[in-house]
Amino acid sequence: MISKGPGRNVRALVVSIDTVVLALLVLLVSLLVPFPSSAQQSDRDQYLTQLIDQAAQENLADQREWHLLLHYQKGIFGGYESEQDDPGFFMSVHGKRDPAAELAATLAQFFSAELVGRSQQPAQCAFIARYHWLKEQLKFDPLRLPPLTCERFDRWYNDFEADSISLIFPSAFLNNPASMFGHTLFRVDQKGQTEQTRILAYTINYAAEVPPDAGLAYPIRGIFGSYRGYFSTIPYYLKVREYRDIENRDIWEYRLNLTEHQMRRFLMHAWELGGNAWFDYFFFKENCSYHILALLDYADPELYLTDEFVGWTVPADTIRLVVSKPGLVSEITYRPSRSTVIKRKRESLPAEERDLAHRMTQDVGELTSPAFTRLVPAKQAFLLDLASDYLRYRIETTDSPKPEWKERNRAVLTTRSQLRIPSEEFVVRPFAKQPELGHKMHRASIGGGWRNNDTFEEATFRGGYHDLLDPEVGYTPDAQIEMASITVRHYNRADQTRVERATLLNLLSLSPIDSVFHAPSWKLNIGMNTIRHHDCQLCSNGFFNAGIGGAKELQLLNREVLFAFAETEANISKAYHELHRVGGGGTIGMLADLTERWKFMATGSYLKFPLGDKSDDFRWYVGSRFTLAQNWTVRLEYNHRDRDNDVVISVQAFF
Amino acid sequence: MSKKVLVFSIAVLFGAQAGLAMASNPDTGPGCGLGKLAWAEYKGQKEIAPQVLMVTTNGTGMNTFAISSGTSGCTNDGKIMSEHKTTVFAALNFDALTAEMAQGQGEHLASLATLMGVPAERHAAFFAMTQERYTSLVQAGEASPVALVKSLNDAIAGHPVLAQASLR
Repeated sequence: MISKGPGRNVRALVVSIDTVVLALLVLLVSLLVPFPSSAQQSDRDQYLTQLIDQAAQENLADQREWHLLLHYQKGIFGGYESEQDDPGFFMSVHGKRDPAAELAATLAQFFSAELVGRSQQPAQCAFIARYHWLKEQLKFDPLRLPPLTCERFDRWYNDFEADSISLIFPSAFLNNPASMFGHTLFRVDQKGQTEQTRILAYTINYAAEVPPDAGLAYPIRGIFGSYRGYFSTIPYYLKVREYRDIENRDIWEYRLNLTEHQMRRFLMHAWELGGNAWFDYFFFKENCSYHILALLDYADPELYLTDEFVGWTVPADTIRLVVSKPGLVSEITYRPSRSTVIKRKRESLPAEERDLAHRMTQDVGELTSPAFTRLVPAKQAFLLDLASDYLRYRIETTDSPKPEWKERNRAVLTTRSQLRIPSEEFVVRPFAKQPELGHKMHRASIGGGWRNNDTFEEATFRGGYHDLLDPEVGYTPDAQIEMASITVRHYNRADQTRVERATLLNLLSLSPIDSVFHAPSWKLNIGMNTIRHHDCQLCSNGFFNAGIGGAKELQLLNREVLFAFAETEANISKAYHELHRVGGGGTIGMLADLTERWKFMATGSYLKFPLGDKSDDFRWYVGSRFTLAQNWTVRLEYNHRDRDNDVVISVQAFF
Repeated sequence: MSKKVLVFSIAVLFGAQAGLAMASNPDTGPGCGLGKLAWAEYKGQKEIAPQVLMVTTNGTGMNTFAISSGTSGCTNDGKIMSEHKTTVFAALNFDALTAEMAQGQGEHLASLATLMGVPAERHAAFFAMTQERYTSLVQAGEASPVALVKSLNDAIAGHPVLAQASLR
């Protein structure tokens, strides 16, 4: 069985036959032995009763670690309920709600070699973290409760060659609703792993199982928890391909300082969850980030991570929390997406070489042109690598890539291989800093100002997440996600307090276009505001606005993004004849970083409404934000709409 | 490599075991057919696009149940069997490996060298060798990942520096 060569191919088979035989033997023994020897049976029962009593005396079922292992949460009306939803995860039929009954049933099951759970192993192996914790607490007598060997767990565990655990954060990707907030997963770093070979490590990932044809049902069902989430161990190289190469998301890696003991607890619990658990997947709270934090909580119960999240769990918040624990993170590594690499490489080149690299991706004839061949080999290598990066970017981000892209890539690489020098290391600086440096998710602001002939004070609460004028540090550049925001305003002269604005969802994604990147920009805004229209001075107005357009980046002062949208809008308000109007138009605007702390935005729109209340709108917006501290900003904003002028100065706190 | 291969390979490789259960029954299927599978799905990605969207959505991640085709013979409890690690890696990273062989360095190439037992201090020689034999290695790789690994092994065996160092 240990011989090399052909023997190795059948080893797995032999092992598993061994396992089957062993299982049969154990089963046979457990069937045969108790009957002839009722003394043994009664000793077993006696010892089980003794353990259950002892556990009751020590209140084990009320301890934090038992609750962590079974994922119990205190209910609103008292009592406990496990977040875990696979019935095979519990040894007692009442296990989901009764920690003590579950503990007693678990102890009883440890005496048996019966295969339990989805993974079909004896309870001692299927729930190996529970077994070890209870064994430690109750000091199991190995003669009266004999330990079983867990070959499958041992093989799985040893294969990690675990040296440390890293928390991995692929940053947000706005063009996919499921990735808007980023994602988190763990990587089990191997002994002897280098920066070059860490892609070989396995990850521990939690994700919902979504049918391939889910389409638009996905976000809706995802919010209400009708998908199941499972843990899996996918090699990191596949995750890197998915995030870095296909979705073009930068990845941040945080190496955690866990002791060997904590790491073993972490992996034992991961084994239990991977093999025997699923959770109803809730997009906002019980999502990827939440359930993987539970693993860290069990590794070190002093961390109290999951308790911090009540209503929702945003991946970047979990990163901020983990980083805030003293000494938990030892090293932070940045892994740029392919599109970031391409942008940085292009930036580093003079214009004529940038153009040359681009021409090389369009015409392989350029590879033999004097403009290229007269360059020194290191420069040729750099341009060829950039050309190949770009062609692979096109191939992997297009649904049906043109065959000539692959052919050109091959020609570029063949030419490259003839240069016989290795590519020099190119250090890529991120465009967005790491997430823990960013502002927190919730925002409250107070302000005051003038509207037409009145003055007002206002207060705003926003559930999440980030808008174009918020400090961009740690966030995907030029992307906005606002959800659940409400502003209450008091008008002094009118002596009226009203809901001034409310946002259900306000998304905006600007993708600057250049010769390489062509993605469109888009926006979607659903909410209400207060308008002045016809005879109504202050009228509530519900709106839906969606638009598509393009953006262009400039570097005149510092960094400016110009954008234009074609859009459509529908309004409902009692201010309109027929109570509604529907129309369309366009917006142009500019977003500018004046300094690191000072940001400026201006937009102008014209919309014509041919349906319902026939009317049109000219709108201007000018806004400016200054960052006082990571979680404090001030703003001055001016809004013009028809004959309606509104100036507000406000201060924002993020928490 | 196309998106489809990624979807498909995740599903085949890790759908059956990893996704649903890192710990399911040991796989005693008729050997790991990955090379053929990954290569067979090399073309025509359009119809798979919505699926890719789902598969690559993070947070939601991959579809584990619907595509899983039972045992693939490559994994045990969600881990790639050690005898298949090199081939599986070569199959799933062929495009990156191709580029890095031409470029004479890279993390996929270094990882492949490590899987093949080339010690770190000989990686530079390994990289130079793959750059030199780029055309023939890519041809082998286009046939199958098994052929690529075999060509690399043959090249190592015939290489003055690498042959003595290899742990094969």
